[in-house]
Amino acid sequence: MKLDARIPSGPLAEKWDKHRFDLKLVNPANKKKYHIIVVGTGLAGSSASASLAELGYNVKTFCLQDSPRRAHSIAAQGGINAAKNYPNDGDSIWRLFYDTIKGGDYRSREANVYRLAQISNHIIDHCVAQGIPFAREYGGLLANRSFGGAQVSRTFYARGQTGQQLLLGAYSSLSRQIATGRVRMFPRREMVNLVLVKGEAKGIVARNLITGAFELHEADAVILATGGYGNVFYLSTNAASCNVGAAFRAYKKGAMFANPCFSQIHPTCIPHTGEYQSKLTLMSESLRNDGRVWVPKKPGDTRPPEEIPEQERDYFLERRYPSFGNLVPRDVASRATKVECDSGKGVGPTGYAVYLDFRDAIKRDGREVIQRKYGNLFDMYKNITDADPYERPMMIYPATHYTMGGLWVDYNLMSTIPGLFVLGEANFSDHGANRLGASALMQGLADGYFVIPYTIGGYLADVTPSEVGTDHPAFEEAAKEAEARIKKLLSIKGGRTVSSFHRQLGEIMWEYCGMTRNESGLKKAIAMIQELREEFWENVIVPGSDWDYNLSLQKACRVADFLEFAELMARDALTRKESCGGHFREEFQTEEGEALRDDQNYCHVAAWEYQGEDKEPTLYTEPLVFENVQPSQRSYK
Amino acid sequence: MTQGTETIDITLKVWRQKGPEDRGRFETIEVKDVETHMSFLEMLDVVNERLTLEGKEPIEFDSDCREGICGMCGAVVNGIPHGPEKAMTLCQLHMRKFEDGDTIVVEPLRARAFKVVKDLIVDRSPLDKIIQAGGYISVNVGGAPDANAIPISQELAEKAMDAAACIGCGACVAACPNASAMLFVSAKVSHLTLLPQGKPEAARRAIGMVRAMDACGFGNCSNERECEAVCPKEIKITNIARLNREFIKAALFSMEK
Amino acid sequence: MSWLIMTFRTSIGKKLMMAVTGLCFLGFLSIHLAGNLTLYWGKARFNAYAESLHSLGPLVTAAEWILLILGLVHVLTGAILFYQNLRARPVSYRVKKRAGGRTLGSATMPYTGLMILGFVLFHLINFHFTDRTDRTIYQIVHSAFHNPWYVGIYVAAMIVVAVHISHGFWSLFQTLGANHPRYMPFVERVGIGVSLIFGAGFGLIPLYLASVP
Repeated sequence: MKLDARIPSGPLAEKWDKHRFDLKLVNPANKKKYHIIVVGTGLAGSSASASLAELGYNVKTFCLQDSPRRAHSIAAQGGINAAKNYPNDGDSIWRLFYDTIKGGDYRSREANVYRLAQISNHIIDHCVAQGIPFAREYGGLLANRSFGGAQVSRTFYARGQTGQQLLLGAYSSLSRQIATGRVRMFPRREMVNLVLVKGEAKGIVARNLITGAFELHEADAVILATGGYGNVFYLSTNAASCNVGAAFRAYKKGAMFANPCFSQIHPTCIPHTGEYQSKLTLMSESLRNDGRVWVPKKPGDTRPPEEIPEQERDYFLERRYPSFGNLVPRDVASRATKVECDSGKGVGPTGYAVYLDFRDAIKRDGREVIQRKYGNLFDMYKNITDADPYERPMMIYPATHYTMGGLWVDYNLMSTIPGLFVLGEANFSDHGANRLGASALMQGLADGYFVIPYTIGGYLADVTPSEVGTDHPAFEEAAKEAEARIKKLLSIKGGRTVSSFHRQLGEIMWEYCGMTRNESGLKKAIAMIQELREEFWENVIVPGSDWDYNLSLQKACRVADFLEFAELMARDALTRKESCGGHFREEFQTEEGEALRDDQNYCHVAAWEYQGEDKEPTLYTEPLVFENVQPSQRSYK
Repeated sequence: MTQGTETIDITLKVWRQKGPEDRGRFETIEVKDVETHMSFLEMLDVVNERLTLEGKEPIEFDSDCREGICGMCGAVVNGIPHGPEKAMTLCQLHMRKFEDGDTIVVEPLRARAFKVVKDLIVDRSPLDKIIQAGGYISVNVGGAPDANAIPISQELAEKAMDAAACIGCGACVAACPNASAMLFVSAKVSHLTLLPQGKPEAARRAIGMVRAMDACGFGNCSNERECEAVCPKEIKITNIARLNREFIKAALFSMEK
Repeated sequence: MSWLIMTFRTSIGKKLMMAVTGLCFLGFLSIHLAGNLTLYWGKARFNAYAESLHSLGPLVTAAEWILLILGLVHVLTGAILFYQNLRARPVSYRVKKRAGGRTLGSATMPYTGLMILGFVLFHLINFHFTDRTDRTIYQIVHSAFHNPWYVGIYVAAMIVVAVHISHGFWSLFQTLGANHPRYMPFVERVGIGVSLIFGAGFGLIPLYLASVP
């Protein structure tokens, strides 16, 4: 099977315009005959539901929280990029495109990324019209800041709650459509199976999380906007309910999973403290503007930080990357941190933390200035750790934050299953091997507001509306499959809790498929995952029943998916014998210990096709062609 | 610096209710060896792990992001929604705020409009219904003018942001002696009405959202200020005054029905 | 008119009725207090004030009717609000604790309101619907406040009124939409001041009269 990305011909800057013209249109009067299912209500799902309903389609939207407003997009702090060039500092669509391609370490599609950069400006316009209270200058115009090491100020923000405000904007548009009746909202529902009829996506089976009932929903197209799989690491900055379930159901039904090994580790998170810990909290990247990262020079130094004299401290980022210093990109900073901790220089009770020290900044600028800039973050840190960052350096450690991999989609955001579209973090498309700060929000909204409304029309124009009803045997079958799995989980009644399996899986993944990977480790990880999976299906204990609210059961289903998905992830990491972006194979590094790409052999998207239980998946590749930019080595020395 | 692992023993009196029709009751659970660095919800996680292994049903509670922004968590701890700490969601409350031997009473957010789903989980969908009745600006994708076309003073934008910070957790309702949702409604009305983009629909929004709020069975605001005191995002009751103004304007001086 | 009914049926509409009628009562209390203060000038002044008031004739009757209507609106709306608010939380909390917003005044509004209603009826029966054919109003008041029970009841009632106003005053501003961070602290202080003035102004009269032979 050949992967056809359906990238339009013509010059890069005209591809999207040309494509929009070439796409077939659905007659306005006919739109109401079509039904579309949207799973997930983050930025991508909410915006897609709203914009499709605005066009006149009938939309059914599902989310597993109690309200669509809870989706994890809400936790994004930093901002959203756009090529507005309001500050007049030399930004342009081309520059945003170039930075994103380069930041992704040349593992994304030129055409997709360029389109994203083009659309970015419309997103800001629309969000302002929606009433997003972006930060403003005294003169009343929008404020911009530089973010994540970008050399231009292109990030729009609403305090440290940009994701929240953008999501609430999309949620308000969605709510408006719910009121008109064009969107029917199904909260506290989890998609437990995808329904295919003649190879095309025609509906889903959703489980009502309150009653446990399986509900069948037919549609002419299905959109997954179900987020990333960072929780495969157990501890991450993701919300507790983030999972790979819906995407994995689609994978098992034939949608290819692309680049699963591309995950992003954020360098500045509050470290792990104990086994009970349920999540890692992100401390904004902006802290590295003033904080200096260091470890004691002597391994195993247990003195408190203030007793360690200046000459016995190693400011390792400044030492290794003299020109970028503490501001190196996320993947680079994270790896350097790991190297120091692995060599025994880590601090804190676990030895897996480094200091982020504001002593010099406070001395230089005064406590007041620092407080104004970071006061809320310092308070948050103090609340969680009970240590005062004004007095003692913060302790930080990297944590999983975002996953670039996802279901493979073509230029229309359609997966390898006709009629199944995938948006936002759930697809693989725009960030390559590493995502830049403030780009996730941009992509989610671009997909939902500005791409899918066009491209889904191109697909639906050739589909007879409401061809299949839920009385089709495929629905019954899909529901039975899902039910059998749940019954089985409840029947095991073993001796280990779901969380303990998840925690162990996370440890395996973090150790062998985390910030750095190597062949023997990955092979070991695959064996360990298989073993753990086996134990899970024999020894897990899931309390309660399947006919009322049962979080343990929900978790069990999700962990069961992660136990399979983790193997795919490790397999992908094993197969990609190069280092790029967030994927660092120890065997492939420069003399200075930096990522070494292999453009000769791995300048491609790796897409995996499910072959059946306990069978190895098949790898397909989509070559990445660079006609407009020249891949080069990233250097931050 | 290295924080010693201190542990405390506590007694939990937690509300257990099988479903909306069940009468419910308090269950007393002795919890030994609670590490004080745990968050409150992590403590409940640990209790649930223990209950599971003892063959009992874990305590169901809502939570998601666990960083204080999604608004999903929230129970009433010792009589106060989100617990005793100011400006904080329940997921951010840590066990070091409690003493060894403490008895902690945990109840669901209570209001007629919030039906108990199970244990500490309540149905807050009425808040969504209120938003659907006007908590938006009617703009379709595609028609927006340039983002900088309308300047908005920084003061106004900040004020709108103060109100927009609402996370929809429902603590205001739970804390209100009358189970009123006025702080929630007023935050959304304020956010949108302060901005020029929200002005055209101001009258329709104020009337629509207030009626929806009443229809959901929330109580009436009597300016007790408990909502403001528990709001994890410190939304001020000046917003309620603004809602009152907007409502008076809309009801008496517009043609909106 | 249906829009008006619709408006006053909403929660905010009802609160508005409470605020506006409450405001009117504050106005009434001010006039009432000003008149009552003539008691400190002695019998003649007070009786003269009463006479000049009664000479207004139909205006007084109109004012009484208006007060009655305002009173009915305030009491009935208050009763509806009280009932609805009780219903809004059918299962109450095991642990009842204030988070820091509630005050003595705000927490007791319906109860102090009910007490004031009782007091007003008592007061009207004593001084308004009483036989005044062969006694001046001063004599009636003077003799009443030589009964320690009356003094006790009146002083207690005025404390209750003060507590009611301590919340009602700023609350009516809030309900009418007049809450600005710059002025609200002032309004709140004035509210406390007003409640003290009414409480003390009315409350000291029985004590003063009890001391006048």
